[in-house]
Amino acid sequence: MTFSGVLARIVTLAMISIFTQNAIFDRAFGANVAIYASRKENHVLGFTAGITVITTLASIVTYFIDKPMLALEHGYYYMPLIYIGVIGVLYVAGLLIMWKAFHKTYKMVRRYAHLAVFNCAVIGALFLNSTYGSNLPSYIGYGFGSGVGFFAACFMLNIAQEQLDSEKIPRIFRGYPIMMIYIGIISLALNVLTGYTSEF
Amino acid sequence: MTNKFSVKPDGLFRQNIVLMSGLVTAPIIVAATTVERAIVLVLSFFLMSYTSIMICRIVPRKIVYTVRAMLYAVVAAGMFIPTVIILEMLFPATTKSVMLYIEILTVNSLLLAKTESRFYLEPYGVMALDALFYVIGYAIAAFVVGAIRELLAYGTLFGLRWFDPPMPAAKSPFFGFFLIGIFAAVCRAGCGMRRAQQRGQRAARASQSIAPDSRGEGAQ
Repeated sequence: MTFSGVLARIVTLAMISIFTQNAIFDRAFGANVAIYASRKENHVLGFTAGITVITTLASIVTYFIDKPMLALEHGYYYMPLIYIGVIGVLYVAGLLIMWKAFHKTYKMVRRYAHLAVFNCAVIGALFLNSTYGSNLPSYIGYGFGSGVGFFAACFMLNIAQEQLDSEKIPRIFRGYPIMMIYIGIISLALNVLTGYTSEF
Repeated sequence: MTNKFSVKPDGLFRQNIVLMSGLVTAPIIVAATTVERAIVLVLSFFLMSYTSIMICRIVPRKIVYTVRAMLYAVVAAGMFIPTVIILEMLFPATTKSVMLYIEILTVNSLLLAKTESRFYLEPYGVMALDALFYVIGYAIAAFVVGAIRELLAYGTLFGLRWFDPPMPAAKSPFFGFFLIGIFAAVCRAGCGMRRAQQRGQRAARASQSIAPDSRGEGAQ
């Protein structure tokens, strides 16, 4: 595969995971984390950065593990354990690097770093990669796109936060219920826009 | 309502993890499209999360939370193996179709967040009952959503045909979001009414207990 072919594959898979198979709007992966992160702008950036880095790096690592493991008869039994191990190693390594090199940032993120790493959006991206990913560029593209898709979702929730918490919304709907309905409307719009129907 | 362990059944409705706090929503929103799928999701949630909560209680709290959170996920991933073996024996086709949503339960927030903020601050017996209420709360949400979507999307209930499917789109994720949003509002309204009722009863009891005292004071 040529360099431009690799790049095209990465971009295509990234676009798919941002729009047609967005982690939040299409699969509801990490919807609770997205709602929590969208309350503050710096949380949006922090969570997104954490998720994007972890999904991209973990996708690269799991590409080399998936093929031999999934070839086994009951290999899929051990995949959650392996993925948690990979994510855990990257998580600890990331915290150690931040502790050594960016101590101020480490102090800021250590309280919610585990939320950005151990969530459905990250592990879900790895499982989807193992099902649909065919080669390394597609793994990288899907992993990176999942993080960017999470950012897009958080951004959309963040900008609507003020309106959704306003007096115009009935009191019992304010907060979590209206947020769910809002995500549902965007999910419906993306479904119609792409003509894509999820199997689940 | 309290029981002999003095456990408030908050997990059923007041702090329902699907409808009120939204801690574990993805499987219900996307995968709970029939009652059978709901059964598989509830069984997997019980076998993985509940047993992991019980097992992880022995993890020493001296270990930093950074590592503890990872250990909790490892235990849940270990529990995934017997869970899937059991489910594949009972519901082979359905288990395969919702496998992705069983796999992601290894990192669910009930295990990673609620353990630290609630369960592990309680005595073991109380915790066991309290966590069970949370699982039952999850089951209630799963069955209600599964039954409604099965009726609307397939015109069936428990696999028995009742009528032609009136709304096939009910099996789509966006309908799951709408349904959870509406039920969350209904649940919140119900809990609000119950709280107001309890406040009223408390106020009435307080006024009743003050009245004889004041009569007594008057007599004195």
